[in-house]
Amino acid sequence: METGQLVQQLVKHEGASDGSVLRSNVGRISITREASQSFFSTLKNDFGFDHCSLISAVDNQTAFELVYHFSIVDATGQMLEVHIDLPRDTPTVDSITHLWGGADWHEREAYDLMGIYFIGHPDLKRVLLPDGFAGHPLRKDYVYEIHEEEW
Amino acid sequence: MAEMWIHMGPQHPMTHGLWNLRIKVNGETITDAVPELGYLHRSVEKIGERRKYFMNTTLTDRLCYASAMTWTHCYCLAAEELMGVVAPPRAQYIRTAVLELQRIASHLMWLGAYLPDLGLITGFLYGMRDREMFLNLLEIPSGGRLLYNYVKIGGVKRDLPPGFEAKAERVMQTLERRLKEYENLYDNSKIFRMRNDGVGVYSASDAINWGITGPNLRSAGVPFDLRQADSYDAYPELDFEPVTNTAAGGGSDCFSRYRQRIDEMHQSMDLVRQALAKMPEGRVMADSVPLRASGEAFRRTEDSRGEALMYLVGDGSDRPYRWKIRSPMFTTVSAAPHFLKGYKMADVPAIMGSLDMCIGETDK
Amino acid sequence: MTSLYDWSYWFCEAWLVPLMTPLLYFQEHIMPPFSNPAGDMARWMESDPGLNILAWTIVVNVALMIGFTNVIIVVYLERKIAGRIMDRRGPMLSLSSLKEIASDLAGYAPEYNWKTTTYAGIGILQNVADGIKFFCKEIIVPDKADRLLYTIGPVIFISSSILLLVMVPFSPRIAASSAPLGLLVVMAAFSIAPIGVLTTGWACNNKYTLIGGMRSAAQLMAYEIPLLLSMAGVFLVAGSYNPMDIVAQQQEVGLLGFPMWNIIPQFLGFIVFIVCILAEVERVPFDLPEAEAELVEGWTTEIGGLRLGLVFAAEYIRGFVGAMIATILFLGGWAGPFLPGEIWFLLKVYGILIFFIILRWTVPRIRTDQILLLGWKRLLPLSLINLALAILYVEVF
Repeated sequence: METGQLVQQLVKHEGASDGSVLRSNVGRISITREASQSFFSTLKNDFGFDHCSLISAVDNQTAFELVYHFSIVDATGQMLEVHIDLPRDTPTVDSITHLWGGADWHEREAYDLMGIYFIGHPDLKRVLLPDGFAGHPLRKDYVYEIHEEEW
Repeated sequence: MAEMWIHMGPQHPMTHGLWNLRIKVNGETITDAVPELGYLHRSVEKIGERRKYFMNTTLTDRLCYASAMTWTHCYCLAAEELMGVVAPPRAQYIRTAVLELQRIASHLMWLGAYLPDLGLITGFLYGMRDREMFLNLLEIPSGGRLLYNYVKIGGVKRDLPPGFEAKAERVMQTLERRLKEYENLYDNSKIFRMRNDGVGVYSASDAINWGITGPNLRSAGVPFDLRQADSYDAYPELDFEPVTNTAAGGGSDCFSRYRQRIDEMHQSMDLVRQALAKMPEGRVMADSVPLRASGEAFRRTEDSRGEALMYLVGDGSDRPYRWKIRSPMFTTVSAAPHFLKGYKMADVPAIMGSLDMCIGETDK
Repeated sequence: MTSLYDWSYWFCEAWLVPLMTPLLYFQEHIMPPFSNPAGDMARWMESDPGLNILAWTIVVNVALMIGFTNVIIVVYLERKIAGRIMDRRGPMLSLSSLKEIASDLAGYAPEYNWKTTTYAGIGILQNVADGIKFFCKEIIVPDKADRLLYTIGPVIFISSSILLLVMVPFSPRIAASSAPLGLLVVMAAFSIAPIGVLTTGWACNNKYTLIGGMRSAAQLMAYEIPLLLSMAGVFLVAGSYNPMDIVAQQQEVGLLGFPMWNIIPQFLGFIVFIVCILAEVERVPFDLPEAEAELVEGWTTEIGGLRLGLVFAAEYIRGFVGAMIATILFLGGWAGPFLPGEIWFLLKVYGILIFFIILRWTVPRIRTDQILLLGWKRLLPLSLINLALAILYVEVF
């Protein structure tokens, strides 16, 4: 279906807000953390978004933000960008590995580099940095000197 | 013999790049596999946050050094979306032609690295010999053979010199002749088929769920090509269809992935000819490219290995606030344990080689 | 000169012993008579058993020299042909490049004109350089390895392979042994090698070598049976195990009025034999036990230095001996119109070896379970069919 219609239907979901159309085949929406699980299963089962492209974590200094990119694997190339805001002191969110297997390592990387904890992930440990590394480097308040001594 | 864990890597003659694969074997059969990455992690995203937008093109070349032009191109598209800049038409056509040449060179390097995994060391030299021709071609506009720094935000650095079309045509005719020879040598070889048929099979629906894209997905029969679905540059004006292959029993096996890349080489040559023929005249760089940018933007392109996506967040200054890179091989390697189980240990190089791994982009 | 043995017997009797005995008699003369082995040795050397043993020593040494020289030539041929198949030249180190190396080492390199130097050499010194390299490397025994077995394993492998060189004749004249059970003993010596491979693979205390050794042993044992069965067809037709008899039988006037080599009535046996010999000497396409892609070097991962050099040489010796046996059995050995027998023999052996080399660099390798499937399920029935055809041939003709 067309992007404008898609965003309109998705905004009706509980907890969704701020829907807009970025490009002709890309929509954007924000969702709260609590409603994320049901929203994602609706996305996969009802709207047919079967490919999880990317899970990015952004460190806005007062909060964290998770940006998900989903797409449909067909000739239209329909995409959706989902934003979730997380509080700075408890950056946890439910994992979507049971819906999309491809989200597995993206969530591990978000945990590794930014420190966001995904509840329900089968094996959440560091993927890019060594296992004993302390700290989450992509955060804006990560200081090089201290952690280099520890490591 | 009991079950034991075997490490393949990080120091190993034939793993493509620096990574570690721990496999649990029961005799000869694999029962579990755990890939371990991070040996080549260079924190590109963090470094990109303290360099200006136009300086990051040197970093993106080194993300996947086997296919450098496509990564710089993805970054430039994302940055252009963020800044609201549009490259002029001639630059778009030049980008298309050069990208397809880069794709052929990357697939040739894959061929040269895949065959020694199966035992045929001669294949390495054939692949490299042919790739040399394309590296010489790519050196003409950009000046570099492996890392180009050619695609810039707003266009390309230099125009193509006259005579480029004739040289490209000669090179492509040579490659077509040689590909016919290779098809005879490899496709009709019983031993090659024995090693590749039915090895490393995954179905199309599994592949979509695990996030596999690019030639690995199209070799399972799914006609999803980002150059068509989410078109960019001059691709909307070129005439082509996604190429797919399927294994004999459905899904994708090593032989269909091999065939897929050979077919893609043919398709890329066709695209290069079309792009060079239709190229308009004009400038190769946009009028003005701003230094500062704010907002968010992302762009995805069809890299030689799959779907490359770059997500940029700008905060009004001349450096990115957040830069996120999606590497197709990162997701594919995470799915690899699923289709390694049940096969023999001797199949591991064949399966991992047929996926065309490049650790530079996997580890960022 | 009827045979190498006769010639060396004459040589010992006429030249060697008369030169050595005066010294020994002089020693006996000047020293006290008891506990003086010099005179006993001189008398033993002049007697028939002593001359016999001295003659055989010379014969074996000549056979070994010929064998090793041929193996070095095979190694050189392999590298050059491999280079040409890969669209490159192969090793180019030879006498005419010594000048370049010497001037480089002496520091005169800027005066040497690199641009106009033409490479006139053909690369014959490469083997010498490789040999020197193997000499200079250190033999490192891993800490937890079983020292005794680690030493014995390669020794078994190398010695059983070198033994083969003296057991197969080059022609009726240059023959180091003429045992009535000739080729059967050769195949028995061929088959000692798996013991050495397994021992080394286990003794190195390394998962890779253990797996490589097991794979290798499984492959070698699986291919023994079709190998011997395909040879059984030829033994049946020839009526004996002696290589002289086999070649003589191929030179007889056969079915259509002219001599017929065994390859024509027993073509199936020839194919089976060639495939089995490739598997026995572990060349591509059957070289998974030492495949770089998975196992680094297989069972020889931990061996270094001269031991490794001799193991590599032993593998080439086995390939060479396999080709020699194939020539004797199927291609008529040393039979041929104008040239002496030795030249024909070497030509045929090198023909088969060049085929092996080109095959190595043209096909990928086969997986272990596919190799075993090929051996047990395909080659074994084929060799039995060949045996049946041979029996038919003997009964009818």
